[in-house]
Amino acid sequence: MAAELTSIKLNPESHIILDQPLLRLPNDLARRNFKSVQRSVEREKEYVIPALKEAANASLSNTQTPDQTLAALDAMLSRMQGLKRKMQSLQEEEKRIQNQSRKRIQHLEALHKIPSLADVKYDQWSRVRLDRLLVDHMLRSGYSESAKQLAQERDIEDLVDLGVFTQCQRIVECLRQGETKEALQWCGENKAALKKSQVWKTTTLKEIGPGILIGLVQHNLEFELRLQQYIELVRSRDQTKKIEAIAHAKRYLITNQETQNKEIMRAAGMLVITPDTRAEPYKTLFSTDRWKYLSDLFIKTHHELLSLPSQPLLHIALSAGLSALKTPLCHSAYASSSSNSASTATSVCPICSTELNDLARKMPYAHHSKSYVEGDSIVLPNGRVYSKSRLLDISRQVGSVEDGKVKDPTTGEVFLESDMKKVYIL
Amino acid sequence: MDLVQKEHDRLLKRLKASHGLKNVESTIDLLQSARDTIAADPNQAAVTLAKLQNPVKSSFDSINDSLKETHGGLNKYTKSLDKLFKDRPLPSTEHDALSNQEHLINRAIAMHLLREGQFSVAATFLSEIADQKSTIQQESISRPSEKPSSLLDIDEVPSTEIRKQFASMYYILHELKEKRNLLPAIEWSREHREALAARGSNLEFELCRLQYVWLYHNKSLEPTNSPGNWEAAIEYARREFSSFGPRYLAEIQKLSGAMAFIANLRGSPYAATFNNPTAWDEVSQSFTREFCSLLGLSADSPLYIAATAGVIALPTLLKLQTIMKAKRTEWTTENELPVEIPLPPSYLFHSIFVCPVSKEQATDENPPMMMPCGHVIAEESLKRLSKGGRFKCPYCPNESHFKDARKIFL
Repeated sequence: MAAELTSIKLNPESHIILDQPLLRLPNDLARRNFKSVQRSVEREKEYVIPALKEAANASLSNTQTPDQTLAALDAMLSRMQGLKRKMQSLQEEEKRIQNQSRKRIQHLEALHKIPSLADVKYDQWSRVRLDRLLVDHMLRSGYSESAKQLAQERDIEDLVDLGVFTQCQRIVECLRQGETKEALQWCGENKAALKKSQVWKTTTLKEIGPGILIGLVQHNLEFELRLQQYIELVRSRDQTKKIEAIAHAKRYLITNQETQNKEIMRAAGMLVITPDTRAEPYKTLFSTDRWKYLSDLFIKTHHELLSLPSQPLLHIALSAGLSALKTPLCHSAYASSSSNSASTATSVCPICSTELNDLARKMPYAHHSKSYVEGDSIVLPNGRVYSKSRLLDISRQVGSVEDGKVKDPTTGEVFLESDMKKVYIL
Repeated sequence: MDLVQKEHDRLLKRLKASHGLKNVESTIDLLQSARDTIAADPNQAAVTLAKLQNPVKSSFDSINDSLKETHGGLNKYTKSLDKLFKDRPLPSTEHDALSNQEHLINRAIAMHLLREGQFSVAATFLSEIADQKSTIQQESISRPSEKPSSLLDIDEVPSTEIRKQFASMYYILHELKEKRNLLPAIEWSREHREALAARGSNLEFELCRLQYVWLYHNKSLEPTNSPGNWEAAIEYARREFSSFGPRYLAEIQKLSGAMAFIANLRGSPYAATFNNPTAWDEVSQSFTREFCSLLGLSADSPLYIAATAGVIALPTLLKLQTIMKAKRTEWTTENELPVEIPLPPSYLFHSIFVCPVSKEQATDENPPMMMPCGHVIAEESLKRLSKGGRFKCPYCPNESHFKDARKIFL
């Protein structure tokens, strides 16, 4: 029926729920890296082999001067040199990623050698994990410098993803400042992967119905960025810019007509509306808040693509932990006899400690099916419950208490030893 | 996990053995030597180029072969990861109760960094928070419709006072652990003598005792060659111990008694006190605890304990989430988790009272009440049983009146 009250059992396999991105992310990066090797090899192959054939045919039929043949060979050579350079740098990257993966696997493996949660090695391991979670949180919140410094000081740079998040953050900064270039470049680099996730979305959507389809594919980052460029052109109210805007729309927006028709219609409508309009949806479209929306959308798309969870891992750990530790006493109006800062006999509960107290206020408290008190509990005339032996110890330690008396460590009141009354807590 | 490790090792081996780059190089060599031949003798062009076709093609083929090999390795490793995490998805992120409490989390992190002695990281962190806040504020000033007041709250970040406190704590700990210098700690404990005494702390005496033992073992600050620096120890005892008075008399007597055994301490009854290898760790731990307690803080970082408890709790909570989803049930007790989460005993801080009648945990609204017989039930159960009058205790033959029950504090 009732589960055990306490347990120090460590199950390493189920303990690594939060560590999924730790291994997944480098693997995703390695796969992407491999794809770009594959693509460049394919590209050069498609160039060199036909070119070589052509050159051979040309020189067989004598339609080509020797200089032309040499020039053709030089072109091939320089492309191959380019491929070599590219492969070299990608191979370096691959090596770096795989080394990182190896270190991460070793870090998780270490958990298997720890016998229990009470072991001092677990404490060390868990501290490293907290540092990882902190770095993750800092990176996601845009505190890159702090993250870098913490990772360096704790020597966990291989266990955190500074590079990925810093790049993401840089693009976000650009978007917040009203600059789409970097984000569009990112879209270009990840075109294939983005398309894949897009295609997947539309196929599942079509099953639901064409009506919902439009509502959900709004997530198309590239379209939204292009739309923003268009909006900026329209905003200026300058006639030449307007013409430019129309050209821009033809080139980048109309191509998405199938899925984004509604937005395109609205965009067209903007041509005859002034930016200070109060009419929706144009007001929203002209609003500078759209930049915030774009940066959020970018983060969402970026994290989805790299299978990173959308919320910081620290939040997941904390919201579970705060509840698991919280008791009704943590936010009680009365000082707790069993854990308070007024006496050395007790240690301050982490939820009661000022750092977390406000944070835990709205959390549910832990469920307990059994009371948990020390065996020799007594109650003092003021209603406070203590372990008898500990109360006697404390009173002896505090020099000012006379023999035969005890001092309540929480309230400071002094009572006769004979005032202690046995209490039965079942 | 073993499988993941194995597949990754295999992948590494494959990558090492991969000669894609070598094939590219050999293709370059082929092209280069053909070019050289043709440059030297243009008449050979047709033959050379014709001969070049197949080798170039085959070296591209072998590049592709080695790529295929790598691809296979990557796939196998990915599969092993899928398998490892198959039954362990990250918890659903539908409601992130903490996301709108960012400032509180940041405050907790800053405090954690200070506590751990990461002062420079903490400083960077706080200044980055301030930077971000000021840009947000600037933006909202340019748009006067929004109120910036909620964004800039001075209480959000730890005050300079706290920072100073932790800096001094780390200075004292550093002196104590690295240099075996107890004097700053002793000085601190003297300054806070009254507060420490009220807590029933022996810190000052423990520190002085260790200082005495340290002197006794001939480790004075000025290196001396005299065998046994017990004179310094005696002098120290005379000067300092008198102020401790009767409370520690027995201890002081023990410490002085050891003087007689200076030649043969190991065989003396005082060996345990004088050769305690963990004494320094114990003292620094109790110093940290007292220091933090006087600031109203727990000795171990709450953030660390909460995050660790969270990871321990996650498997259970995830299981619950899956079951609730499968059965389409909702969580009925909003204030309380629906399952019990076993944590290591050191993670239990408060006593817990669960009413044996209603099986509910006591709260401020429903406190534990003790009947004259000493049995305790929750107030609501008491009201229900007694109906405001006389009733029999559910656990013993004793009868009592509703009015006789008393509220207790755990």
